[in-house]
Amino acid sequence: MGMEWAWLLPAVCTGAFVVVAALGRWLPGRGSLLAIGAIGTAFVLFWFVMADVVGNGPGSFSRAWFDSGDLTVRLGMRVDKLAIVMLGLVSAVSLAVQVYSLRYMRGDPRFGWYFALHSLFAASMLALVLADNLLVFYITWELVGLGSYLLIGFWWERRSASEAAKKAFITTRIGDVALLIGILVLFKATGTFELSQIFAMAQAGEISQTTINLSTVLIFIGAAGKSAQFPFHVWLPDAMEGPTPVSALIHAATMVAAGVYLVARMAPLFVLAPGVLDLVAFIGLTTVFIGAALAMVQTDIKRILAYSTISQLGFMMLALGSLGFTAAIFHLLAHGFFKALLFLGAGSIIHAMHERQDIREMGGLRSRLPATWVAFVIAGLALAGIFPLSGFFSKDDVLFSVLDNRGVVWFAAGLIGSVLTALYVARLLYLVFLGEPRSQAAREAREAPLGMTLPVMALMAPAAGLGLLALAWGDYDGFGSFLVFLPFGSRPFEFHGAVFWPSLALAFSAFLMGLSMYRQTGGVAPALVRRRIPWLLTALDNKLYLDHVYQWTVDHVVLVGSRLVALFDRAVVNDAGVDATGRATRWSGLVLRYHETGLVSTYMLTIAVTAMVIVLIVITTG
Amino acid sequence: MLTAIVFLPAVGAILMALLARSDRQVRFLSLLITLSVLVLALVVWATIDLDDPNPQWVQRYQWISAFDVQYFLGVDGLSAPLLGLTGLLGVAAVLISWGIKHRTREFFFWLLILQTGITGVFVSLDLLLFFMFWEVELIPMFLLISIWGSGRREYSAMKFLLYTMLSSALMLAGMLVLYFSAGTFDMIALRDAPPSIALITAPGVFFLLLAAFAVKLPVWPFHTWLPDAHTDAPTAASVMLAGVMLKMGAYGIFRICISLFPEVARDYSDLLVTLAVVSVLYGAVMVFRQHDLKRLIAYSSISHMGFVLLGIASLGQVGMTGAAMQMFAHGTITAMLFMVAGLVYEKAHTRHIPDLGGLASRMPLLTIAFMIAGLAALGLPSMSGFVAEILIFLGSFGVYREATILAMFGLVLSAGYILWTAQRVFFGPEKPRFAAIGDVTLVEAAPLAGMIAAIMVVGIYPSFVTDFFDAGLAPIVDLLGAAGG
Repeated sequence: MGMEWAWLLPAVCTGAFVVVAALGRWLPGRGSLLAIGAIGTAFVLFWFVMADVVGNGPGSFSRAWFDSGDLTVRLGMRVDKLAIVMLGLVSAVSLAVQVYSLRYMRGDPRFGWYFALHSLFAASMLALVLADNLLVFYITWELVGLGSYLLIGFWWERRSASEAAKKAFITTRIGDVALLIGILVLFKATGTFELSQIFAMAQAGEISQTTINLSTVLIFIGAAGKSAQFPFHVWLPDAMEGPTPVSALIHAATMVAAGVYLVARMAPLFVLAPGVLDLVAFIGLTTVFIGAALAMVQTDIKRILAYSTISQLGFMMLALGSLGFTAAIFHLLAHGFFKALLFLGAGSIIHAMHERQDIREMGGLRSRLPATWVAFVIAGLALAGIFPLSGFFSKDDVLFSVLDNRGVVWFAAGLIGSVLTALYVARLLYLVFLGEPRSQAAREAREAPLGMTLPVMALMAPAAGLGLLALAWGDYDGFGSFLVFLPFGSRPFEFHGAVFWPSLALAFSAFLMGLSMYRQTGGVAPALVRRRIPWLLTALDNKLYLDHVYQWTVDHVVLVGSRLVALFDRAVVNDAGVDATGRATRWSGLVLRYHETGLVSTYMLTIAVTAMVIVLIVITTG
Repeated sequence: MLTAIVFLPAVGAILMALLARSDRQVRFLSLLITLSVLVLALVVWATIDLDDPNPQWVQRYQWISAFDVQYFLGVDGLSAPLLGLTGLLGVAAVLISWGIKHRTREFFFWLLILQTGITGVFVSLDLLLFFMFWEVELIPMFLLISIWGSGRREYSAMKFLLYTMLSSALMLAGMLVLYFSAGTFDMIALRDAPPSIALITAPGVFFLLLAAFAVKLPVWPFHTWLPDAHTDAPTAASVMLAGVMLKMGAYGIFRICISLFPEVARDYSDLLVTLAVVSVLYGAVMVFRQHDLKRLIAYSSISHMGFVLLGIASLGQVGMTGAAMQMFAHGTITAMLFMVAGLVYEKAHTRHIPDLGGLASRMPLLTIAFMIAGLAALGLPSMSGFVAEILIFLGSFGVYREATILAMFGLVLSAGYILWTAQRVFFGPEKPRFAAIGDVTLVEAAPLAGMIAAIMVVGIYPSFVTDFFDAGLAPIVDLLGAAGG
C-alpha cells in the first residue's frame, strides 16, 4: 500500500456517498456507520500514504479522461508532502466531526442524508488536495462548493438556511469564474493544465510577465472567494445556518482551507508576481482586521467563531503574501484543529442551552460544562497564540515571515491583529464560562453526552500539542524543512526574540486585559467604546454595511437591469418587432381575402410565394 | 436501417391510430414504438466507425430524377449521438404523457409523427429531403401546442408556426440558389465540390440558410417565439422542443452553413460571436424576471443555446466539439427541467413561482430531480453541462478572449437563477395548500431516471459522446482549415 493508492481516500468517501444517498434508509444507522467507516478508512489509509511519501518522495499519477482534437484532458493526482498534510487534516477533522454528529444529529428526519453529504464533502476536499492539474482542481473546487451548499442549506425548511446556502454558493461562484478565467489564461499561454509543466515553463521564462500577473490575480480572486477574504467574506457568517458540526468542518478542514491551499499550491507562480503578492498580503491584512473587529461585537457564539475564522484566514493570506508559504500551511493546520474544537465545543454549549446561541444568555458555564470548558480554554488560548499551544507556533511563524519579508510596519499591524484576537477570545471565554449565569437555561445546562465529548477530547491533543511539529526532533527537522517550497529551500522553525517576546507579551496581556475589562463592566460591548466612538460600533453592528451594498447591487442593478431587458424584450422585440409584423401580415391577408382559407394551404402558399419572390429577386438582380 | 428509425414512428402512429382499441393500448404501443426506435438508434450509434469520415448506414435512391432529388440518408459522428438523443427523448416524451386524458389517440399520433420529422432532419444528406423533414415537424408541433397546450396556446402555436415558416422559406430560397448553381441537392457533393454561386453572393446564401437555423436555435433577436411556445406547450412537446428541435438549428449550422460555406463562416464569425454573447447574457438576465416556471426554463434555454453558438463561432475543433456537447447535454438537462416543471404543474396545479414553495417536503424525489438537472444546467462538474461548457470556453478563449469572458458571467447568472428558483419552488416552509400532494409515481420517475443517467454518464465519462462529435466534426474543421485562417 503506497501513494499510488492515494486516490482511494476520496474514492471510498464517494462510494459511501452514493450508497448512503441511495440506500441509506435501509442501512444500519441509516447509513451513518458506513459514512464513518469510509472516512475512518481514509484516515487509516492516510498514514500508509504518508509513510510512503516520506520514505520515497512525491509521486504523480494520471490517466487520460477525454480528448478533443489536439486537446487531451487528463485526470491526475500528485501526492507530495503538501498534499498529505492536507489529507491528514481533512480526514482527521472529518472523522471527528462525523463521530460527533452521530450524537448531535440524532433524531433528525434526514439523518442518513446528512451523512451522505458529509461523505460527498470529504470526498471532494480529499480529491481537491490531490489534484495535479488545474482542470481537476477546478472540478473538485466546484464539488466542494456543492457540498457546502447542500450542508449549509441542510435545514431547507428554514428560509434563512436556504438563503445562506444560496449566498455561499453564488458568492464563491463569482470567485470560481475568476479562477476559471485564470485557468484559461494559463492554458492559452502554455497549452497545458499540468501544474508541473506550467511551473517549469514559468521558471524558464516562457510565460510573459503579463500572463503571470493576470492569471495569479484571477486565481487569487478565486481563492479569496472560497477562503472568505474581504470583500467576499460575507457568505461565511451566514453559513452558520447549517448544523454546528458542519460549521466545524467548513471552518476548519474543508471549503475555506481550499483557497489558502490553492495559493500555496501555486506558490511557484505567485513568487514570480511580486505585485500580486503585495495584493495578497494587503487583502489578508485587511481581512484580519475586519474579521477581528466584527468578532468583537457579535453576540451569537457561532458568529463570533465565524468572524474569527475570517480573521485567521486573513493571517494565512498575509503569510502567503509575505512568502511565508510554510507558515501559512502550518497555521492552516493548527487552525483547522483548534477551530474544529471550538465549533464542536460550541455545539455542545448550544445543545446544553437548548439551541440558544446568544452569549448574553450564557455565563458561568464553567462549572456546568467542565469538559467543554477545558476544550474551549485550550482551543481559545491556541487561537489567541499563547505559548505552548499550537496556535502560538503557527502565528509566530506567520509573524516572522511578515517581519522578514515585509518589514516592521506590516509586522506591527500583524501584532495588532493578534492583540485583537486575544481580546475577543477573552470576551468569548468570559461571557460564556465565567461570571454568573444570565438565564435559566444557563443555570440548568448539562454537559453533553459522551458521544459528543469524546471527539472533542480527541481534538484537544492536536490543538494543544501540534506545535511540536514545528520543532526539530530526531530525524525530523521541523515543519519548515518537512514542507519545502521551491525555490526557497528549507527553513526550520526558530525562536526569534524579535517576534517571540513582543507577540507573546502582547497577546498575553491583551488576553488578561480583556478578562479584567469584562469582569469589571460585565457588558457585552465595553461601555467605554460605546460612549466614545458610537459610530464605529454602529458600523460594526451593521457588518460594515457590506451586506447592504451587495443586496442593493442585486436589487438595483441585476433585478432592475433584468426588468429593463424584459420590458425591451416584450415591448420592442416581441410586440413591435414580431406581433406587429404578424398584424401587418394578417391585415394584408384580410385585404387579399385569403384569410378564410385553411391553415395548411395558407402555409403552403406563403412558402411558395415567398420562395418564388426571393428567387425572382435574386435572378433579376443577380 | 435509418429508414426504419425515421419512419417507424410514423408508420406505427398510423397503425396505432387505426388499430388500437383503447387509450391504454395507445400508450403501450407508443412506448413500444419509441423503445424500438431507441434500441435501433443505439445500435446505429454503437456501430459507427469513427475512422471513416464518410457517412455510414447510407441509403441512397434517386427520388425525383427531373431535379436530381435523392432519398439520401446517412449518419456520421455528428449525427449519431443526436439520433440517440432523439430516441431517448422520444421514449421520455411518451412516458411523461402517460396521464394525458384529452384526445389521447391523436396526441400520441402527433407525438410520433413529430419524432419522424426530427429524426429525418438529423439523417438527411439531401437538401430537399432535409427541408421536407424540417417542415414535417411543424404541423404536429403546431397541433400539440394549440390543442393540448395551456395559456395563450393558439397565439403561441400560431407564432411558432409563422416564425418558423417564414424563416424556412428563406432557407428554401437559399437551397434553390444552391441547386441552380450546382445542379444538385446532394450535401456531400456540395461540400466536396463547392459550386461557384452565380446568382447572388455566397454570403447571401449563407445568411438565407442561417436565418432558418438562427430562428430555430434560437439566436437573439429571433427568440421570442420560444418562451411562448415552450410555456404553453404540453410537457411532452416542451421536452421535444427544447430537447431536440432547438438542436436542429445548431445541427443545420454545422451541416449546411459551415460545411458548405467555410470561408463565409470565417468572415462573419465576429457577428456570430456577438450574437452568441448577447444571447447568453440576455437570456440569463431575462430569467430573473420570470414568474412562470416553464417560461423561466425557456429563457435559460436561450442563454444556453448562446453557448452553443459561441462554440460554433470559435470555428475550431475543441470549441465546436464543445458546442455539439452542449447540444447533447442541454437536450437531456432542459428536457428534464421541463419534465419536472410539468410534474409540478400537474400536482400543484400552478406554475406561478410566487405561489409555490416548500414542495421539497412533499416531493423529495422530484426535488432531487430538479436539483440534479439544475446543477447540471449551471455547469457543475461531474455532469454533462460542465464538459460542454469547459470545451466551449477552451475553444473560444484563444480566439475571442473578451467575448468568452463576458459569456462566462453567464455562469454566475445561471447559478443565481437556478438556486433562486430551487429556493422559491422547493425550499422554505411547507405551504398548507400543498399538504395533500404526493411525490412522483414510478411511470413519472422512469424518464427522469433515464435523463439523470444520461447526464451523469456523460459528465463522468465524456468520451462516450466526445469521441463521436470529435470525429464527426473533424472533416468540417479540415474544411475551415482549408478556408484559411
